[in-house]
Amino acid sequence: MKYDTIIIGGGLSGLVCGISLAKRGSKCVIVSAGQNALNFSSGTFGLLSRLPDGRQITSPLEAIGELDENHPYRIIGEDKISEYAGMTAGFFEECGIKLHGNNDANGYVVTPTGDYKPAWLAMEDITIFPEKQEKIGEKVLVVNFKGYLDFNSAFVANAFEKSGSSCRMETVSLEATERLRRNPTEMRAVNIARVLDNESVLSEFAEAVKKLIKDEDVVVLPAVFGLNNAASLDILKNNIGVKTLFVGTMPPSIPGVRTQMLLKRAFEGAGGTFLMGDEVTGGEISGHRVLNVKTVNLGEVMLEADNFVLSSGNFFSKGLIASPEKVYEPVFDLDVDYLKDRSLWYDQDFFRKQDYMGFGVKVDSSLHALKGGDAIDNLYVTGSILAGTNQLYEGCGAGVAIFSAFYVADSISGKKEN
Amino acid sequence: MNMQEKNESANNFEQCIKCTICTAYCPVVPVNPIFPGPKQAGPDGERLRLKSSYFFDDALKYCMNCKRCDVSCPSGVKISDIIQSARIKYGRHKPKLRDMMLASTDLVGTLARPFAPIVNSTISTKPVKAILDGVMAIDHRRMFPKYAGRSFESWFRKEAGPLQSSFRNQISYFHGCYVNYNYPQLGKDFVKVMNAIGFGVNLLDHEKCCGVAMISNGMMSSAKKHAVHNVKVLKKAADTTRKILATSSTCTLTIRDEYPNLLKVDNSDVRNDMEIVTKFIYPLVAEGKVKLVFKKGYKAKVAYHVPCHMERLGWGIFSAALLKMIPGIEFTMLDSNCCGIAGTYGFKKENYEASQAIGKPLFDQINGIDPDFVTSDCETCKWQIEMSTKYQVKHPISILAEALDLEATAKLNK
Amino acid sequence: MKGNEFDVIIIGGGITGAGTARDCSLRGLKVLLIERNDIATGATGRNHGLLHSGARYAVTDKDSASECIKENMILKKIARHCVDDTGGFFITLPEDDLGYQSKFVEACKAAGINAEVLDPKEAILEEPSVNPDIIGAVRVPDGSVDPFRLCLSNIVDAKAHGTKILLYSEVVGFIKEGDTVKGVKILDHATGLTSEYYAPVTVNAAGIWGHHIAELAGIRIGMYPAKGALLIFAHRVNGIVINRCRKPANADILVPGDTVCVIGTTSTHVPFEECDNMHVTPDEVDLLLSEGAKLAPVLSSTRILRAYAGVRPLVSADDDPTGRNISRGIVLLDHEKRDGVKGLVSITGGKLMTYRLMGEWATNLVCKKLGVDKKCVTAVTPLPGSETGGLEEVSKKFWTNPSTPQKATVGRLGDQASSVFLEDEYDQSLVCECEEVSAGEVNQAIANLEVHNLVDLRRRTRIGMGTCQGELCACRAACLLAKARNCAEEEKSDLCSFMNERWKGMYPIAWGETLRESAYTQWVYSGVFGMNENN
Repeated sequence: MKYDTIIIGGGLSGLVCGISLAKRGSKCVIVSAGQNALNFSSGTFGLLSRLPDGRQITSPLEAIGELDENHPYRIIGEDKISEYAGMTAGFFEECGIKLHGNNDANGYVVTPTGDYKPAWLAMEDITIFPEKQEKIGEKVLVVNFKGYLDFNSAFVANAFEKSGSSCRMETVSLEATERLRRNPTEMRAVNIARVLDNESVLSEFAEAVKKLIKDEDVVVLPAVFGLNNAASLDILKNNIGVKTLFVGTMPPSIPGVRTQMLLKRAFEGAGGTFLMGDEVTGGEISGHRVLNVKTVNLGEVMLEADNFVLSSGNFFSKGLIASPEKVYEPVFDLDVDYLKDRSLWYDQDFFRKQDYMGFGVKVDSSLHALKGGDAIDNLYVTGSILAGTNQLYEGCGAGVAIFSAFYVADSISGKKEN
Repeated sequence: MNMQEKNESANNFEQCIKCTICTAYCPVVPVNPIFPGPKQAGPDGERLRLKSSYFFDDALKYCMNCKRCDVSCPSGVKISDIIQSARIKYGRHKPKLRDMMLASTDLVGTLARPFAPIVNSTISTKPVKAILDGVMAIDHRRMFPKYAGRSFESWFRKEAGPLQSSFRNQISYFHGCYVNYNYPQLGKDFVKVMNAIGFGVNLLDHEKCCGVAMISNGMMSSAKKHAVHNVKVLKKAADTTRKILATSSTCTLTIRDEYPNLLKVDNSDVRNDMEIVTKFIYPLVAEGKVKLVFKKGYKAKVAYHVPCHMERLGWGIFSAALLKMIPGIEFTMLDSNCCGIAGTYGFKKENYEASQAIGKPLFDQINGIDPDFVTSDCETCKWQIEMSTKYQVKHPISILAEALDLEATAKLNK
Repeated sequence: MKGNEFDVIIIGGGITGAGTARDCSLRGLKVLLIERNDIATGATGRNHGLLHSGARYAVTDKDSASECIKENMILKKIARHCVDDTGGFFITLPEDDLGYQSKFVEACKAAGINAEVLDPKEAILEEPSVNPDIIGAVRVPDGSVDPFRLCLSNIVDAKAHGTKILLYSEVVGFIKEGDTVKGVKILDHATGLTSEYYAPVTVNAAGIWGHHIAELAGIRIGMYPAKGALLIFAHRVNGIVINRCRKPANADILVPGDTVCVIGTTSTHVPFEECDNMHVTPDEVDLLLSEGAKLAPVLSSTRILRAYAGVRPLVSADDDPTGRNISRGIVLLDHEKRDGVKGLVSITGGKLMTYRLMGEWATNLVCKKLGVDKKCVTAVTPLPGSETGGLEEVSKKFWTNPSTPQKATVGRLGDQASSVFLEDEYDQSLVCECEEVSAGEVNQAIANLEVHNLVDLRRRTRIGMGTCQGELCACRAACLLAKARNCAEEEKSDLCSFMNERWKGMYPIAWGETLRESAYTQWVYSGVFGMNENN
């Protein structure tokens, strides 16, 4: 099977790259070994919130110059990053995903544990506050589904109380969600969302919430609405009547699952082919070029293309694999930047910087992958598998995923034009 | 240290890192709260079952084995195999008469086919349906597939068989029970298309039902006997024609994956030679080894439903790509959803409601698109969609047979 | 008697202290049990969980072996919800001396242990994970025992018989009159306050920390801290305990316990200062793995869940640097006779599964000192949870068609499952999905089982002990605790401590799936929850 571009990995980066290319008429296929990290997203995107030395960043675009030279942002270049950051919301809008936020300064979102986390952009469910611990109202009503354990209303209420609001916690139970309750394990975000996608159940819920309001000026709900589209959010806001905010839940994340679905739909809508549940097992390389890749499902049918993009993610998605002795990239055995001594991979404090999260595949200045020190001319690397950054620590995972995807899509289509 | 280079466990159950994504993609969970969900029934439950078989939960029978959990799993855990293996290993209920009847597709087919007109009319009358419902617990709202008057095999031996040796290339065909007893037309379409592209068709040396319905109804020893027999005759076929093609995605998946994984029948000699027809044809066309000529003026608005097992095989792209090549086809890829029938699952009274609820998003989408017809590679999806919507369902190969200028194509592929 | 006066004070909330408290309270004494941490935090919760048949000691220490087999048979009756009667094999590998086997079997018989020589082929059929190269196999009545459950059941019963339990309370000094111990001074770690408690007899059952307790009374017990490191694998590889048929050495026992299996141990002398903070070294991990793979080769590719280490409270008799030659037998010290200090008794040595006998000996001595004439009944009185029957029988009492989580609850609590709130379906929803622990079970533990924090909750319920090591359940449980106690702020830091406690056992073996799991957990806690060292 012959394509223009084959993308390995169907997460945020692979999809953005695929959509960008497919929209420009490129025949693309994405091979995705199962679902990806978007399903566990916080509903927000980060550009940069911390430097590797731990300094907090409020204006991410201004801080890029302070990053190391091999950081993907520095490889892509400050100007390009600013340009891409400006394009991002529009790009997602075209895929049916509304993002809001500010390129010039990080805002903050309230997390499921009631912490404030810096954010660049957020999906429309999630409210961004310009300042940490901003007071959202005088009296806040935090409503949860009865017995739903993945939304910690006590923690969330605690956060709002610390910022000066008085909080009350209530629960709602509906006949339709109670049906789920018969199963001890399935009172989870996606299942609740599926039930609430039914309009009559949704308005029943809104009525129930309304009845609970005494003198509160703000209602806070778990972000478990609108699995298929975000229209439910507006319906709820309108029906409840008072200011309604949503706070993310423990995984799976409804805004994340919705975003993943819409991106995949946009990719397929642009003519792309998405192979879900298949896995690239290896590729043939000859003279600094990848000729083809093999997958589990396609067997002897090889996937051939002019260009290949490796967006296979970090350890979680098995883009990188750690054995007791080494860290390696399993598809092409590319050069991986990692610490040899395993005892240096970890910090004994779980909540401090974990160096293993910064391991990744080495690239040249065009994001070509390196193997044995040499660049592979038609193999590009994007997203969380890139070396040079601890994305979780620096809060730049989405930025790196999106910008490297834009950059590679530009390179590939530029090459074709030339 | 020469240790721990890789992690190994039965069906990769240890690779589950509890992300719960499979639960989000399970079609049964939202409609049947008694089912514990793939993660719980699969890798979570497995750790307890290893401790004692007492932890086996009978509710695992509500798993349809659609394998959507496997497709969504980012960790490569074969969740459906864990669940089905547990049913095989620990299930204590003997299959009911109903289950045995539903499962023995070829036996019942053999018995019913000669009396097709009687069986078809009897099975659809109210009193008989009431008996099936009351006594057999087969839901009365369910429409039965009709039995054909003449089996595919008998048609083939008499009409098509003698002509096949004239073709330069040869393949073998695993037609399955459905083509043989219920819908020989699909087999005839298959032969037409293969002949047109220059391939002679051979039947196996007496194929048996792939056994999928036996597996899902707990008749493991019968299923295993079938598997052993089929692997033997498939091997014989592969030795002469190499490729063995099928028109049913479920038969294909069963023979390729369920034989070794669930029934522990070694099929390594034939596994890679067994393919669904569209996966075989499309690359030949794409590489220019086979040329197609289409009828002028053929027009159809088609919605393609990828059957769950086709999704698991990862081969939906081949059927889609082949259909998209037909000029005049307005092609829509339906969202990835289960139709809810899952073989014999939806026939059972206890599953009927769930079965229809699972399929609803798919039916709604089809109604919204209002195609000329729906296309799918699976016979049970066809029953379910035809029963639940007003649209006819055709196999991609039947559409190809309709759209191709067979004579002109045959000339180019001599 | 005043509120701070008791018949006997027991120091130590491990299995020895718990068993002694139960025995004393069953004999009608007014008991105070003091523990500076949580129950089962020392060696009690840091061993194999092996229900020895005694075979391991048959050749080298016949007294211990006889004690073991007797207690083995008693525990199978009185603690059946804590015990898994798996049976055990002693296997001989090609590199071992098969001649040892006959000596071993003889010694077992002499100690009263039923030892049956098997054809190696038969042994492989019965336990398919065992090394297929074995040249000999002997069956013995080994089993496994859940130390947390066993300790908790003793505490619950002691409490039901009037024992006062003080957790997170540390003995900081003895109240002495002349050469007589009259009571103890306690520092309450939660409040920071000190208080005094009195009793005519105090029992030092503090395990390795008993060395320090004795010093507070001006006494020296020659204790020998021997660190033992172990690895937990993520699922049960074996159904039958596998031992090496040779003189006891490193990593020669593989025990299936609950949903996991455990290989151990190493044995190294450590200084007393390190006893509170045991870390497993990479060398120990390598040794456990390579020796473990000789018992069951599949361990070389089985996911490791955790590495942990405990300190055995051995009482030294000579200068053996490994501690292996020190008797594992029970040591009961009457300090009046030994050191001239009245009112103080130390009970130490022994093993997890001889705790009951240790409690009996200590209580006999306490009763003698108090002039109480009551017989020990612990050998015939089932522990709470083991009173009515086995897993199936008990499940059927509550449910006609029990689900897996319901069965799991009974599996952990035995007939005490009736104490779990089962009023409505909210109680059935799962907090911990790996170990199938329900909200009702967690709430019951919070209400009744002396839970101070999430780690305590883990010891009571197994939350966070499964393959995800608390990634989802810790947060759910923290919320239940926050609601029950109205302490959201404290629970957030408790959640951090819990995650760090789990991480401590993971990073020494964090590669492969464990590293993936950690990366995912990092993503959830740092990326989704925004929890890091800055907040």
